[in-house]
Amino acid sequence: MANFMQDSVVKYACSCGILNPISKLFFCRHCPKLRCGFCVCHEVDSNFCSNCLENIPSSEARNKKNCCANCFNCPCCHHTLSARATTVVVQKKPEEGAKDGDGAAGADAKPDPSKVITKKMYYLSCLACRWTSRDVGIPDQSVATGSWPDNECAYQTRFNALAEYYQAVVQQDKQERQEYLRRKTPKTHKFPSLTDRTGLTVSIIRRQMGWSDKNTQKAKPVNIAPAQNTEDVGQLPESIFTQKINLRNITTVKQRHNQPCEQPFTINKLYPQRRGLWIKRSLRCRECEHNVIKPEYHPTSVKYRIQLFASYHVPDVLLVKCDQPLKAGEPNAVILKLSNPTLHDMEINIVELPTEEDELKLIEEFKRACTLKDTSLTAATAMDSLKSLTGSPSLTGTASLTNTSLVRQTSILEEPRVVKLKVNSKLQPPEASFILNLRDDSREFDDEPQTTTKSEPEFIVSRKSNKVYLSLKFIPDADLKTGDDVYVGFNMLYTYVNTVTNTPEKKEPTTHVLNCRIYVQVGSIEA
Amino acid sequence: MEIANTYYSKDEYVETASGNKVSRQTVLCGSQNIVLNGKVIVQSGSIIRGDLANVRTGRYCVISKNAVIRPPCKQFSKGIAFFPMHIGDHVFIGEDAVVSAAVIGSFVYIGKNAIIGRRCVLKDCCIIEDGAVLPPETTVGSYMRFTAKGTIEGGQGNPNFVPTAMQDQMIDYTKSFYEHFVRAPAAC
Repeated sequence: MANFMQDSVVKYACSCGILNPISKLFFCRHCPKLRCGFCVCHEVDSNFCSNCLENIPSSEARNKKNCCANCFNCPCCHHTLSARATTVVVQKKPEEGAKDGDGAAGADAKPDPSKVITKKMYYLSCLACRWTSRDVGIPDQSVATGSWPDNECAYQTRFNALAEYYQAVVQQDKQERQEYLRRKTPKTHKFPSLTDRTGLTVSIIRRQMGWSDKNTQKAKPVNIAPAQNTEDVGQLPESIFTQKINLRNITTVKQRHNQPCEQPFTINKLYPQRRGLWIKRSLRCRECEHNVIKPEYHPTSVKYRIQLFASYHVPDVLLVKCDQPLKAGEPNAVILKLSNPTLHDMEINIVELPTEEDELKLIEEFKRACTLKDTSLTAATAMDSLKSLTGSPSLTGTASLTNTSLVRQTSILEEPRVVKLKVNSKLQPPEASFILNLRDDSREFDDEPQTTTKSEPEFIVSRKSNKVYLSLKFIPDADLKTGDDVYVGFNMLYTYVNTVTNTPEKKEPTTHVLNCRIYVQVGSIEA
Repeated sequence: MEIANTYYSKDEYVETASGNKVSRQTVLCGSQNIVLNGKVIVQSGSIIRGDLANVRTGRYCVISKNAVIRPPCKQFSKGIAFFPMHIGDHVFIGEDAVVSAAVIGSFVYIGKNAIIGRRCVLKDCCIIEDGAVLPPETTVGSYMRFTAKGTIEGGQGNPNFVPTAMQDQMIDYTKSFYEHFVRAPAAC
């Protein structure tokens, strides 16, 4: 595999038409199609703090306003604050009080060593910009975490009241709309539960029969005092005209926005901010609503419970080198390395890309099919029409589609589009298909080189376990100038053995011929 | 692009029985405290300060040219102490990087010219961008990317910052780096 930190020269066209390197693509086994980050639903899987790496359940996270209870961010540079310990001398005499300061200062202050006990005190300090909680006069705490004061904003109660009020308004609005809809819809089906007895809850049945839910209470928003405008705005203080501004004491816009409720003007009002939580996302295919990615809950775990990366299912294409220096209009060949990540042999056929008119026609057909009313019927035809474009037979039966549409809202699909990249060379596709051997991890430890018994087509340079080096002939367009990037595109048809099926009667793995469009940036025209 | 072969001369590198390839032009202080767990490449000009504390690396690590591995220190009231440093498997440390982390997980990518402050914790599958400077005691979680601007981005399942298949990518990258790091043919 190539260095993933560099921009990849081999791009795969996702089923929506956006080009991506294979590392950013997913493969939905149920569709079966390539999916990019735009073709999947992003869902919050779990919340955690990225500093203390503690998993926080979503209800608790909501309670704490999506902030960690223990970790703070520096108000100055937004880096994490760490607690520093100092030893403070506490004297027996209560009227003297605790002397603040670190060890050296404490040593000066003690009058009698026998009467002195030391205590650990903590303050927060930023190791990136040297800000400390002492800068703004926050007293040191005797415990490192948990006891730091929350700076209460002056408008907190007003804000809470407003938030509560508008939540109630929203709820009332929703109830009224529901009521209105219930009255408007004709009572067509009196017996909705004859077909699907278990799938419906009591409240759904009640709603469908036109009765109101039993447990509804009319939400009434509590009245709040409306905001009042004032004539008297107050003059600017005199000092603003007379005194020189010290820009070191003025906060930056970023610092103010990090502290949204106060938005302090001067740096002595910057207080430590609670650190926001991070999420793990699970990704779901928008078409069939199966998960493509589902991470483990534990924040430190790097494993997935479901991981359908494209690199596990689609042959990986890697550019090895170009045969000759690239010249406009002169035939050339490029050596590509294809590897098979699956445990089944693949038959691969490389053909030319569909022309733009073909592509447009297919997309039009797909869109038209989608806009029709009957979802269950058109989905099937749309998939058929898209089959030739993305090369995937539809696996979702009509029955399963109608079932899901009852329970879940259908999500918006990413609109397919024409691939933006224009290929500027003529491909001479190889005349025969070839087999890509299955991946076998034990081959790595084999010493003897593989002897190829059967004769290989001439475009295959060499073969090594699940990898094939093949040379692909192409002619860059004649009108290319020196320094122009040359792009070669091809359509790769490959057989894919699907081991999952969502139809219960078929247990056998099914074989599909899938296709994906691949664009390779081979290099630039040399002088 | 496939990684091009990197050739080294026979005199320059020492290959151990476990497959480590260590350049002779390195400063390995306190070599009895340095454990390289196999198939590790230590390139010319790098410094590993085993004299300060133990340094352990996992398998298939790459320590690039002029990188400095220095166990972290902590100041106490009675002086200074150094802590051992653990590096996981399949870790890439870029050129001219200075690493003083307490723990580096597996499948971590550290870009070139990065500076990792003392006692940082880098969890599995994180990326430190080229030229990033980590302040001391920073934690970079799994699937997070520490940018050169000093912000932390990403998270597991977010495909825009760290590849979702970071583990496989790093295994592949470090393995193919090792396989393409070959001795120059004897003739030349």
